[in-house]
Amino acid sequence: MGSAARNYLNAFWAMARKELIVMARYPVNFVASFGQVFLIVAIFTLGGSTFFPRESATGTQVDAGFSSAAAGVAVYGFILFLFLSDTLWAIGYNVRNEQLQGTLEQLYLSPASKFASLVARVTNTLLWTGLVSIAGAALMAFMIGRLPFENPGLGLYLLVMSLSGTFGIGFAFAALTLRIKGTAETMANLLQFAFLVVCANFFPFSALPAVLRAVSRVIPLAYAVDAFRSTLMGYPPGFPELASIEVEIVVVTVFGLLMPLLGYWLYRLAEDQARHSGGLSTY
Amino acid sequence: MTIFSPAWRKYPSIVLASARMRLINISRYPGQLVVDIVIPIVFAAMPILLGRATAGPSAGEVFKQNTGTDNYVAYMLIGSSAFTIVSYAFWHIANWLRWEQETGTLEALYLTPTHRIWVAAGTAVYSCLRGVLSSVVAYLLGSAILGVNPFQGDILIAFLFILVGLVPLYSMTLLFGAVILKVKEANSLINVMQWGVSFLMGVFFPIAFFPPVFRAAALLFPPTWMTNGVRASLLGVGYFFGEWYFDFAVLWVFLLVAPFFGYWLFSRVELNLRRNEGVGQF
Repeated sequence: MGSAARNYLNAFWAMARKELIVMARYPVNFVASFGQVFLIVAIFTLGGSTFFPRESATGTQVDAGFSSAAAGVAVYGFILFLFLSDTLWAIGYNVRNEQLQGTLEQLYLSPASKFASLVARVTNTLLWTGLVSIAGAALMAFMIGRLPFENPGLGLYLLVMSLSGTFGIGFAFAALTLRIKGTAETMANLLQFAFLVVCANFFPFSALPAVLRAVSRVIPLAYAVDAFRSTLMGYPPGFPELASIEVEIVVVTVFGLLMPLLGYWLYRLAEDQARHSGGLSTY
Repeated sequence: MTIFSPAWRKYPSIVLASARMRLINISRYPGQLVVDIVIPIVFAAMPILLGRATAGPSAGEVFKQNTGTDNYVAYMLIGSSAFTIVSYAFWHIANWLRWEQETGTLEALYLTPTHRIWVAAGTAVYSCLRGVLSSVVAYLLGSAILGVNPFQGDILIAFLFILVGLVPLYSMTLLFGAVILKVKEANSLINVMQWGVSFLMGVFFPIAFFPPVFRAAALLFPPTWMTNGVRASLLGVGYFFGEWYFDFAVLWVFLLVAPFFGYWLFSRVELNLRRNEGVGQF
């Protein structure tokens, strides 16, 4: 391994470690984020179960009729939403935090790799959100009885590609954060909810009005959601909804390979402009 | 000076000044006001669209068997609007305390001759206005988008439930404020709290879905009565005690007890922190 690559890996490891240490120092935050996911899963499971006949109106069995297809749609969509949401905040909004704390300019004056700095933030997201997703899915499976789990190999491939593309969106959002500064928090909220609707994370695409479905068809992340959950559900009738699975795999692969490059390019562009205009440390 | 000083006339002006300052501040972020309205609609749309897509044409019928009304759109919109009021109450009060602490003005605020309870009341007035207005607009707009009539049932009684429910709700935020002063990790605690509250008050489902222990806990919680009161008066899902005035009486009990309990606990934590150099520390 060349010395440049070794330096890069060392920088990446140091930054990832620093992020993990910071995370470990806030145990309340740590536990709270876990509890929050459990509560969201419970709320949506119970909300969804109001549409299914129950065995007993007062029984403790929560949702006897909550179909496994409905559960698959909501759980697997929710997992991708968790990653998207965390990525927007962890990468994009973290850059804003560095700016507010006054450490962003210093970071850029150091010889350390900027790419490693961005990717290190993703590492935490991967680890923590991954654990939270598994726990959330397990809870939902426990509440509804059975969660479909077919084609795990292809499902994993689609997840990796989807996450890669999602991280690209995070890089692009970090670029936007450098430009819009204080509005970034509102924008992250808006983007999160916009994606939640057009990517149909909690419901099938067939539930969307035709206009919104047309919007979904031009968003690669929507194909990622559709392909990922359809694959893990074993392609029940009507799934995937946006295109054939072959086409969706191609879209997700291209999204996973190109989006990080595009996002990083946009980030470097915004960063160059901020450095030339002296905007890195102003907020 | 105590909060029961005879010079009571100045207190409303402190409350209004505090509320006005915050309203001026938020008026500078119009994007945030749009998000305030969009979030409850999107939030309610999730279970609505999932239900429509998976339960098909019988969605309303099955929903009625489970909840007492086939108008699931209004049911979910009321839940998410109530969620907005409740979560804003927690966010605004707790964030206000934490923000003052972080910017170093909390200690200074404690040293002014104005009692902080009036400044807190101003923040609560601002929060009420923002939360209730956002919720009402979101409910009306969401009803228009999703094709239901928002003006049904007894609107006046629904408003009464909201108005009376706001007092115990904001008293609860004082309890939570005490926790924030003590633990100091506002964001993560508020995040959990808002989902915990939504869960207990049955944001998208009747609390009859809960096992008995959870149901009992939910009934000790004022927002549960407020949300069910609004749903029962607008959609006829049924009051917990059969008639609206019985449920309303329970909410009044909360209204009379919660402010004193909230203030008492907050004062104790606060006193403890002041004695241990904790107000200015973060």
